[in-house]
Amino acid sequence: MGVYIAGKGVITSIGKNVEENFHSLLHSKSGIGKMEYLQSAYSETLPVAEVKFTNSELAEMAGVKFGSPRTSLLSTIAAKEAMENSGINFSKYRVGFISANTVGGMDNTEQRYKEFLIDKTGAQLTGVLQHDCGTITEIAAEALQINGFVTTISTACSSSANSIMYAIRLIEAGVLDVVVAGGADSLSRFTLNGFNALMILDKKPCTPFDENRNGLNLGEGAAYIVLASERVMQEQNKEKKFFVSGYANANDAFHQTASSPEGKGNYLAMTQALAKSGLQKEDISYINLHGTGTGNNDVSEGTAIQRIFSKVPPASSTKSFTGHTLGASGSVEAVYSLLGMEHGLIFPNLRFATQMKELNFKPVTELVKDVELNHVMSNSFGFGGNCSSLIFSKYKK
Amino acid sequence: MYINGIGCISPQPTFNNQVFLEEIKEYNTNRIYCVDTDYSKFFDVTALRRMSRIVKYGTAAGLIALNDAGIKTPDAISTGTGYGLLELSQRFLRDFISTNEGVVSPTSFIQSTHNTVSSNIALLTACHGHNNTFSQKWFSLESALYDAQFLLKEGKQNVLVGTYEEIGEFNYASLMQTNDLQAEPCSNLAMFSQNNDGVIVGEGAAYFLMAHEQNTTTYCKLKAFKTAHNNENIEILLQEFLAKNNLRNADVDVVMNGMNGDKSNDAVFNTINKNLFEDATQLAYKHLCGEHMTAVSFAIYAIAQIFKQQQIPSTLVLKNAERESNVILLHNKYKSYHSFFIFEKC
Repeated sequence: MGVYIAGKGVITSIGKNVEENFHSLLHSKSGIGKMEYLQSAYSETLPVAEVKFTNSELAEMAGVKFGSPRTSLLSTIAAKEAMENSGINFSKYRVGFISANTVGGMDNTEQRYKEFLIDKTGAQLTGVLQHDCGTITEIAAEALQINGFVTTISTACSSSANSIMYAIRLIEAGVLDVVVAGGADSLSRFTLNGFNALMILDKKPCTPFDENRNGLNLGEGAAYIVLASERVMQEQNKEKKFFVSGYANANDAFHQTASSPEGKGNYLAMTQALAKSGLQKEDISYINLHGTGTGNNDVSEGTAIQRIFSKVPPASSTKSFTGHTLGASGSVEAVYSLLGMEHGLIFPNLRFATQMKELNFKPVTELVKDVELNHVMSNSFGFGGNCSSLIFSKYKK
Repeated sequence: MYINGIGCISPQPTFNNQVFLEEIKEYNTNRIYCVDTDYSKFFDVTALRRMSRIVKYGTAAGLIALNDAGIKTPDAISTGTGYGLLELSQRFLRDFISTNEGVVSPTSFIQSTHNTVSSNIALLTACHGHNNTFSQKWFSLESALYDAQFLLKEGKQNVLVGTYEEIGEFNYASLMQTNDLQAEPCSNLAMFSQNNDGVIVGEGAAYFLMAHEQNTTTYCKLKAFKTAHNNENIEILLQEFLAKNNLRNADVDVVMNGMNGDKSNDAVFNTINKNLFEDATQLAYKHLCGEHMTAVSFAIYAIAQIFKQQQIPSTLVLKNAERESNVILLHNKYKSYHSFFIFEKC
């Protein structure tokens, strides 16, 4: 029994929907720049990749109550697009919503916590009840009118890749017929200060896989794909075009925040995803890298890729466009991988200058057109050693 | 799937699997904390110093369950937590807010991600397998159990499934404002006879080594489970669930209820117990661990122990039908979050 990709939706710093994101990717338009919406002491010094709308504008677009956490607004907007894009009549099926996020309602909590520090009894704390990640998913599920199985995955930066895997398993096990799967994360001062304290934020737009890379830029966004069973595809007269042929979740078990130098977890995730797909490594036409731009990630990921692929396929990090959208990055990059496959394009790794001395390959730096992408690997690695790889494939009769 | 090992750290001394609720802690507050065990048995001194309270009790619960099952490295780890690492998140919030985003240490940020405990267990057991963390309010554990079920079907031999929860100062204050807690706390042990409004909030961690095959360490079988986010028709949904698993109401020997002492929450249990399980032994557990998003794992710990020890501690009993415990139904509930589980003797 197969599971197919029936729709997609995305909102990031480079566009509020699939079409706008595609346009920016095509024209090498990065979304990383000066902070305009997030209120932070670092507004002049740390570039970020913001979705260029205020919370009230996003609430309007999402059809969600103003005052809801920003992550829930981004989530609803992208998931709504994915559902509409699928053209499926959802009312007939057992529908699930599997969404990832890592910051929850931290944007509201930050505000309330400040008041709480000043006045422990007087501060108005009701917003804090939306602090948890699950609430974000519930707000979106309600707006999307999804009443079936709803859950949230929070495994740091690999979260939404894990949502996609879990969704496939739910359909394969016959628990659900169709699932909207992906993730969302908004910028917050919490993550900005955290990554800054770890000294892994680049003060300029990031340069993934470059010898002189200097860290990541934080971004925000949300993305979802609609996964449907064979039966749903048939009944809804949907053409089977793409599916997830391989997936794996492995753990580096090396350090809470750092990757092992040889990228053991990364290696395991990629090789196990390949094994699951039944493909040969030569079959992979392109790798959408995790490629955060930190010294540590890129060397571990690159080393693991080199170990697997004697001839490394074309690879690039689209985080050079969107920054690192944390819990959303896996699904944002899933949507980009699918866009590349659909249009026969490889999107470039922006601002690349110097090849890393540890690696025998460098990323794709110019847009590649008219290329047949049959199988695309997308990597997502995170804190806690969480490493996930997905392989998207074209369906061939 | 089978439960082949358990580890539970809770507001009761539950960390030693050789004893089962022999000593019961009484509290007279609306917030209760874990009874700690000697964590130096699990971690070296330097590691211990770096770990926050929830990382200690969460990781230790996982290691106890593995040790109990005689397994060094599980094939996979899947975890649920409603709020994640609240205290560290709040410490980091305080640090950067009070310095106006000045120079802060990353230590609490590093350990504040929801997957900290599951990845810490992976680190200590060299588990390179699948590692997942769910955060879905009162369905966090149930989400992880689905994950385990899929992995076992795909050929994994075992999956370490568990939960961890803590209530930070800030969330406690917010629960007080929304009147979710008992305003004038009674003794936790008198919770079900007081006709109260509000709950006692708790914390804790529990892990279970879920396995494909039964062996000498097996506690019981988890036959089926289901979630229902609904308050209408719960009685019908519960009966459908039993029927789907070829059980009649009368087949349920013991029913473990998720009542929490808040009269508006608990009313439904009185009806269901009367209508469906009049002849069964009726139990409750939240007076022991408090209410929280993953309190249900305390109930699973207790049910596993009931099967293994072949006895039901009196503190759990609401009504004793003196029946042999062959089939135990767990019905957990908080507001409109219901979940049902069927456990069977092996």
